[in-house]
Amino acid sequence: MDRRKFLKASAIAAGGALAAPYILPSGRLFAASGARIVDHVVFVLFGGGIRNQESVKQQYLANQGLPTQGNVMENMLTGAKPTQNLVYTQWNPILSNSLASQGTLFPEMRYKTGPTGHYNGHTVGMTGNYTETGLNLNINPEYPTVFEYYRKHYNPAKNAINAWWISEGLGPYPSLNYSRHPSYGALYGANYLRPATVFSQLGIDYYSDSSSFQPDDVNRLEKVKSFLDKNFDKTISDIPGVNNARSDMEAIKDLYIDILNQVTPIDYPLPNGVPTSQLTGDLINIAAAWKVLDKFKPELTVINTFNLDICHSDFTGYIQNLHKADYGVGWLWNKIQSDPVMANNTIMICMPEHGRNLTPNNLYDNNGLRAFDHTSDNNSREVFSLIVGPPSKVKQGQVVGTPGSPVGECIDIVPTIAHILGFHNDIPAGLLPGNVLTQAFV
Amino acid sequence: MSIKKYVKRMSMRLFSKHIYLAVVLIVFFSCKKKVIEETVYDNIIYEVNDVAVYGSNVEKTKQKSTNQYISILYTDLFNQAISNNELAEISELTLAMGDKQTSNELIISHYLNSPLVNIPTNSQMRADLSTFINETYVRFYQRYPTEYEKIYLKKMIEDDPLMTAENVYIAFALSNEYYFY
Repeated sequence: MDRRKFLKASAIAAGGALAAPYILPSGRLFAASGARIVDHVVFVLFGGGIRNQESVKQQYLANQGLPTQGNVMENMLTGAKPTQNLVYTQWNPILSNSLASQGTLFPEMRYKTGPTGHYNGHTVGMTGNYTETGLNLNINPEYPTVFEYYRKHYNPAKNAINAWWISEGLGPYPSLNYSRHPSYGALYGANYLRPATVFSQLGIDYYSDSSSFQPDDVNRLEKVKSFLDKNFDKTISDIPGVNNARSDMEAIKDLYIDILNQVTPIDYPLPNGVPTSQLTGDLINIAAAWKVLDKFKPELTVINTFNLDICHSDFTGYIQNLHKADYGVGWLWNKIQSDPVMANNTIMICMPEHGRNLTPNNLYDNNGLRAFDHTSDNNSREVFSLIVGPPSKVKQGQVVGTPGSPVGECIDIVPTIAHILGFHNDIPAGLLPGNVLTQAFV
Repeated sequence: MSIKKYVKRMSMRLFSKHIYLAVVLIVFFSCKKKVIEETVYDNIIYEVNDVAVYGSNVEKTKQKSTNQYISILYTDLFNQAISNNELAEISELTLAMGDKQTSNELIISHYLNSPLVNIPTNSQMRADLSTFINETYVRFYQRYPTEYEKIYLKKMIEDDPLMTAENVYIAFALSNEYYFY
């Protein structure tokens, strides 16, 4: 063999060795995504801006000049509730064991750079990249969302019905179901829903008498539509929004119409005997999120709570809403564990989108308690994260990180979700600066 | 008059003259605020005349906004303009849902269930298919169908006795051409 033939043969052999693992017996070029830890992830952006002082540090009113401490989040955290100076109505916990005891708590996560605003915090949590955006908030984020990574890189590809973003409010949040990144976008986006609008009187007025298209009618109108579209040279592929498969669209319509007509009424997270007047927007959002989870069993769901932002002017309301949102999260976990598909096959991650300031602003509430903003001081960069799942998958009762040695950043949640669902290694290098929170997993 | 007083008086006169000059300059030559009138076409209330305004669909190059789509749909179905309040409410509902087509289909279904909607019955449609097709093209596309479109759609309806005017209307309202103007 001469030198030229030898080099050629070597190059072919080397190329073959590199490519072989990616050529499947089926002839497909790329292998399926890696092993999953579980099949479902629910990420709760437990938000509105929560200080570690009132959450994981369980200091209750200690920073208001009152000596009372205690845990107002008995469903999520382990610790005794306050017994004195009660400024909130205590609900008995719905969980017999706290979520912290059913998973791993990272009590000292950091939000390292960028403004600690709500849009920024949500964007960081859902894209895994810090953002400086501060003015035009009603735009899709610059970096791909976790939904787009999941839908573009998970192999085999998943329909949009497997990915949901369910928010308590409107504002900039409808824009977070996909990014404006040129390689991703709406094609890989998630379904977005704001239950407080769709299931409100507005929804009743405009949707409740609607009906999904029957299969025969779908065939007819698709046939006519196809003919009409063939005679027009432009497409609406760039219409803003995610696209569902026809059968998924009809299923989504059915769910909404059934909820609006009370065919499948929403079950609210309230303790026995507590009237619905005690519901918050957070609890309504969690309840509606469960309807979506229950119906579609999506693999990736992000929901948020937001009512704690009342802390800008009302610390008492903040404590009350924190307590209620905690109840809602415990209720949701109970529902997941009672579902035959999702039980023991779901990991839930909870993280506030950012913290709040160390020093109060000038406002006092009716109880004389001081209010707190979130203006990017160091305290507003301190958050916690809780990763809960089956004992065989997630380390139970573990606490990782201390104030002196913090572990984890807000940008770590997206790679961690990608790791759980088995597509982290498929994401191109350079897009995600964060790390997988491997400490949480068995 | 002392020299000092004379100088003072002259200074006053000169000063007054300058003031006059300044006032004249300000009045006649000062900057004018430029008023720019910007017309926002997103909330147009569309008129209701069923006339063909396009020679062909090639003239449609711009995609409708969500508000334009809803507003025009309402007019096409009810032969009257949508109220600003209803348009704002539907816009909010559309914003609250990520799949805009699903949202549009729910609204279309809601409108078609209205007793006020102006839609021919099946027998009316089949009694004179050519007229129905012509009117549907004008109603939704603001143009007349080509001969090919007329023949093909007519055959499609004739071949399927269960195809309703509602099916045809929905297909038009969801078609790509309807999203453009």
